[in-house]
Amino acid sequence: MTDDRYRSPLGTRYSSPAMQTLWGEKHRVVLWRRLWLALAEGERELGLDIPEAALVAMRAHLDDADLEVAAKYERRFRHDVMAHVHAFGDQAEAARKVIHLGATSAFVTDNADLLVMRDGLRLVLGRLVALLGALETFATRYAAVPCLAYTHFQPAQLTTVGKRATLWMQDFALDVEGLCHVLESLRFHGCKGTTGTQASFLELFNGDHEKVRELDRRVARKLGFECTYAVSGQTYPRKVDAFVVDALSGIAQSAGKMGNDLRLLQHEGELLEPFESEQIGSSAMAYKRNPMRAERICSLARFVISLQSSPAHTAATQWLERTLDDSANRRLALPEAFLAVDAILILATNVAAGLEVREAVVRRHVDEQMPFMATERWLMLAVAAGGDRQELHEVIRRHSMTVAEAVSTGAPNDLLDRLGGDAAFGQVPSEALRAELEPTLYTGRSSAQVREFVSEYLHPLLRRARPLAAEASSAEVRV
Amino acid sequence: MTTTPALRESALPLPLLRRGKVREVYELGASELLLVASDRVSAFDIVMREAVPLKGAVLTQVSSFWFRKLANVAPSHFITADAGEIVTRHRQLAPHSDVLRGRAMLVRRTTPVAFECVVRGYLSGSAWQEYTRSGTLAGEALPAGLLESDRLDPPLFSPATKAESGHDVNVTFEAMAQALGRSLAEELRRLSFAIYTAGREHAAGQGIIIADTKFEFGYAQDGTLLLIDEVMTPDSSRFWPADRYAPGHGQPSFDKQPLRDYLAELRRAGGWNGEAPPPPLPADVVQATSARYLEAYRRLTGAALEVAP
Repeated sequence: MTDDRYRSPLGTRYSSPAMQTLWGEKHRVVLWRRLWLALAEGERELGLDIPEAALVAMRAHLDDADLEVAAKYERRFRHDVMAHVHAFGDQAEAARKVIHLGATSAFVTDNADLLVMRDGLRLVLGRLVALLGALETFATRYAAVPCLAYTHFQPAQLTTVGKRATLWMQDFALDVEGLCHVLESLRFHGCKGTTGTQASFLELFNGDHEKVRELDRRVARKLGFECTYAVSGQTYPRKVDAFVVDALSGIAQSAGKMGNDLRLLQHEGELLEPFESEQIGSSAMAYKRNPMRAERICSLARFVISLQSSPAHTAATQWLERTLDDSANRRLALPEAFLAVDAILILATNVAAGLEVREAVVRRHVDEQMPFMATERWLMLAVAAGGDRQELHEVIRRHSMTVAEAVSTGAPNDLLDRLGGDAAFGQVPSEALRAELEPTLYTGRSSAQVREFVSEYLHPLLRRARPLAAEASSAEVRV
Repeated sequence: MTTTPALRESALPLPLLRRGKVREVYELGASELLLVASDRVSAFDIVMREAVPLKGAVLTQVSSFWFRKLANVAPSHFITADAGEIVTRHRQLAPHSDVLRGRAMLVRRTTPVAFECVVRGYLSGSAWQEYTRSGTLAGEALPAGLLESDRLDPPLFSPATKAESGHDVNVTFEAMAQALGRSLAEELRRLSFAIYTAGREHAAGQGIIIADTKFEFGYAQDGTLLLIDEVMTPDSSRFWPADRYAPGHGQPSFDKQPLRDYLAELRRAGGWNGEAPPPPLPADVVQATSARYLEAYRRLTGAALEVAP
């Protein structure tokens, strides 16, 4: 490999070493050798004539495959699995004659893919749990800080900074539910033979159906799966790939939504993603602070969502017991979906853990709108003091229009002073009007919703998810 | 002076929950957190490039001192700030014990209450600004004719929504009671007064005025209310030297004054516009600030600071 060739930026720039290793060739071969060992062990345990020495030889060379030797064989045979059978046999001489006995290529390729996907999903789940931890920390911290809510990206009634983050959290929590379901329902391909009928194994065991079934179960358990798909063609059902990438796409959708919200809020100056002190915002405009991490999240999210169609089409276009037109597509779509989601979650966690709230700006935006929000309460105070609801409504409407016009030309919002000075509000002390300008009065159940969401929904969900997840340590974001 | 190198940012192999202006918060399983105070320092709301040696250790060990001293006043999330014990409980941190020593604190994980509980024993900062504007503090009327930095007896409770620093948005006690429920709001006020009063008295005997401070509380998984975060540190409080106290104007800061003086002079001279990026700090300013933090620790606790070898 030379440096003048194309290399995927998912590898060179974005995803973690852990996820790249999982999808690397070296790891795949390590899994193939474990599968061949499990098969031979199972066959011996069930009475086939496989010498113990063969198992010993295989166990001694599980992790030291020579990829160069395998590559030489592959140039000769034009068959990757057979190349590795021979390379393994070179190292484990005593096992040469029995490696891969009764199996077809899909025994190693498909079972190994399931193992890689299972471990990849666990890593993704661990990263999701970590992201939710950072978002929970942020949301509970800012649960009561009032901010403008937006509908149509126009100022609407108030919410809180933490409640909005809870919307992002819920999206990711729903992804955790989906991921847990995919992980819990993921099964093994097992020992099925060329067309899925297990004919070769039935022959090896002289027609003993029970032993064939037992071999299938034992090999699955040796690799950490409780059961196998009930029936198959040559491969495991390609629907499974679609389920997996759908779950990954779901995460990308949540991240895309959060990333977009962050970009909008950074434009408003309310919320800023972390910025290293030496980081350069723009090569030309030195004062700029761009939401580049959120932008990258959105960029990668779009890519993952676009990958969703590949496994769906593959599942739909497989012919009869199998066609090989799945192969090249799977080699690209599956790892890239995992690597990109890995990168998205590392970025999102970094952003969530370091989000900077510009509380003065948030407060200024609230204050600009506050008098309009308070008009309904002012109306009720004046009615309680003996006023006529219809007349008061007209007075408020008239002053509000004038103030809105003035505010649009840069004047401060003086609606309170205007109403306080209007005879219609003469019975209401101005301090009583002013007291209604407290933003916390307008955030409804926001802070309680955050607390309830965390204790009643999120924490029980995480208790279910943690045992399935791989521990995700903080990974350095490359900016 | 010490030669312990300053730590600008920790990077432990644990899930990172929050990187604040000064501290990192890591997740240790479902029920514990690791708080690591770096030596980052901010002034005028900007985090400086230079780190101040010993500052992180001072913050952690001041909090640790109060958590233990005031355990009978308020139960807290504190488990240990002893690096050896942290590593014993979490073996995977063994290779990082140098980073942990003195500056890391293992705590119980809680769900934080969404308001900061600020207690003001002296009229200063945003409270002084509100008073000059409207004669009130947190919406409640104060006696007329108070001077800036005047002592308030009894102290005042002025809750605020969370702020990283400097931008406390004060809310009325009523607003907090409406959001949290009255009985919780009253319990927070009672605890805050009790902790502050005990702390103010102890510090006064050591020549430090704790002018105001902010507390945070959280719910443990079993529902009990715990004192969390940092307690009466130079970063969560205004520390003033008692021997220079004179109301009528702003007071010097016990800890950050060398840094503030330098930056204020730089701004006056047109050398900095007060915004990011921060100016480089001369080594003597960094060292003087470090010495002030260390002195605050020695005075408050009467003990030697534990630092990495």
